[in-house]
Amino acid sequence: MEPLERRSRLSSSRRHSLALAVALAGACAGAVAQAARPQESVTPPPTPGEAQIVIGGVTPRFAIPDCIPRKGDAASAQACRTVAEVLRNDLRFEGLFQFVPDSLIQAIPAMNPDAPRFDDWKGIDAKILIVTRAEVTGGDLTVEARAFFVDSGQTMLSKRYTGRADNPRVFAHQASDDIVALTQYRGVARTRIAFSSDRDATAERRAKELYIVDYDGFNPRRVTVNGSLNILPNWTPDGKSLAYVSYRQGSPLVFLASIFEGKSTANLTGERKDSQAFAPAFSPDGKRIAYASNRGGNLDIWVANADGSGARNLTARSGQDTAPVWSPTGQEIAFTSSRAGSPQIYIMDSEGLNVRRLTTIGNYNDAPAWNPSKQFSEIAYTSRLEAGGFDIAVIDLGTRQVRQVTQGRGSCEYPSWAPNGRHLVFSCNRGRNWQITISDRTGSALSTLSTGAGNNVQPDWGP
Amino acid sequence: MTLSFGPERWRTTGIVLLVAASLVACGGKKRPPVLSGAGDASASTKAAPPAPEPADTRPDVDRLADEGALGSDTLAPADANTEGGPLADIHFDLDSSALGDAARQTLGQHAEWLKAHPTARVTVEGHCDERGTVDYNLALGEQRARSAREYLVGLGVAPDRLRPVSFGKEKPLDPASNEAAWARNRRAHFVVAG
Repeated sequence: MEPLERRSRLSSSRRHSLALAVALAGACAGAVAQAARPQESVTPPPTPGEAQIVIGGVTPRFAIPDCIPRKGDAASAQACRTVAEVLRNDLRFEGLFQFVPDSLIQAIPAMNPDAPRFDDWKGIDAKILIVTRAEVTGGDLTVEARAFFVDSGQTMLSKRYTGRADNPRVFAHQASDDIVALTQYRGVARTRIAFSSDRDATAERRAKELYIVDYDGFNPRRVTVNGSLNILPNWTPDGKSLAYVSYRQGSPLVFLASIFEGKSTANLTGERKDSQAFAPAFSPDGKRIAYASNRGGNLDIWVANADGSGARNLTARSGQDTAPVWSPTGQEIAFTSSRAGSPQIYIMDSEGLNVRRLTTIGNYNDAPAWNPSKQFSEIAYTSRLEAGGFDIAVIDLGTRQVRQVTQGRGSCEYPSWAPNGRHLVFSCNRGRNWQITISDRTGSALSTLSTGAGNNVQPDWGP
Repeated sequence: MTLSFGPERWRTTGIVLLVAASLVACGGKKRPPVLSGAGDASASTKAAPPAPEPADTRPDVDRLADEGALGSDTLAPADANTEGGPLADIHFDLDSSALGDAARQTLGQHAEWLKAHPTARVTVEGHCDERGTVDYNLALGEQRARSAREYLVGLGVAPDRLRPVSFGKEKPLDPASNEAAWARNRRAHFVVAG
């Protein structure tokens, strides 16, 4: 299992940019996963365990006026507009806050961003005021974000972010997460979704390649470039690598791509000549990997160390077992098994003991996804609840009650949870293409992500 | 709502970190041209269209390069168009890997062909129609490939000449959504190499 170095074919016109990039690589090497994140100046974080905004009784009402540029040039104004728009979208998406309508905000007299007149904002019933500023100088962008309690005028958050100017969205995502960090929740604005797409297929090569995209559908980036079938992506918990199944060596094997270093490890699970591997799933601590392999004769759940060593068959028995996922503590594994004659969801501990069946409703249940937040105890999965297609269902592990997340959207399958457990991503087909679709955990706020052309399937929501 | 107040002041760090705005630069990667042909993978349009981005030369899709070489034991490029060939498909009932009479008859002919071509090796592919789920169809495809392979082995074909590969519903022969297409797709497919 040797890592495959990426072949580099640079035209002469690009070598100069590589030289610059190499110089940057040194600065970036210590923080590869943070490469796209702006530098921030930090105010002391809230004491752990003490949220400054507690979501519970009254939903806090935010006012987010337009961003105020620090300079009069067009670039600063444009960056400001983007920052405000993205920040508003991000905070709205979290589903935690209410927002003062734009019409009421427009009626407020021009604000002094360094000394807002809080009476103005009290008058429109805003509880929290977000003030943003932006400035583009040379190729660099500086964004400032402050959050005030309107009733007291106290500052809850005061941040400045600096970095390259060509992606203002990243700054807004950072600010959004920092604002959400004032609550007892963790935001999703900086998270990304990996998925498989056939948009690069040709008549001769039926390729499926992996893509990653911002959680809001922007900035799609292609990860695999091998013209083969690349499917079932799975993020490592540190967000730096993707495990996936690729057919580029002829049969399905698990590969691990360190996607920001351009390196790939082939056949991570060490399949031999005839065996095939599917459905890789890293444990929450990243130290183990579960997957399905048929090296034991039929498809079983195997668990190994993250480097593939120490592999053990946990379900060596008849029936096809696949689609393993870990509980938030890493002590249990849910999976799909046909041992009862139809696909159903089962749970076992991470040693393979204490296997018990979870799903009892419906004759086709597959693809479990265990809510990673310890606040919830539930598993999402794909279920044939109505004739003619599949839907996303969620079963509460305490009550065993099932709620249906999708309905009437054609066929939906392959759910994956956001890291904070408050949203789901899956893929739906309403008669044309399969599209990545997002909802909150109850099935509200359901929307299709425009991630690009083709059929877009098998999403995995990563850090 | 709990109010808790920390000290608030601006801090200017005086440090400007030249952050690569794209992951490409940080890894020292090249910037390939924009993908064309198979679909415009440009930045998505949303229900709330953003203000126009400033013009720049950054490609819409950065390739995070992961170009692996084909392994030396590849029997056939699994993704290429491999239809045709001397060994016909066999077909399966919905949600089944059982071999019917027609399938067994066809496999018998394949066994004869393989005996007459002793150096030939075959990839035995298992495929499903689109109506099942991703994971379960990969499992069903594995059963179908295994079922066909075991039958051929039972007829005397050496097992190491037969490499089973499940494609689930990932590579259907017929992209249509009707009974005829689905029946064609529920198959084992045989790709000869050597």
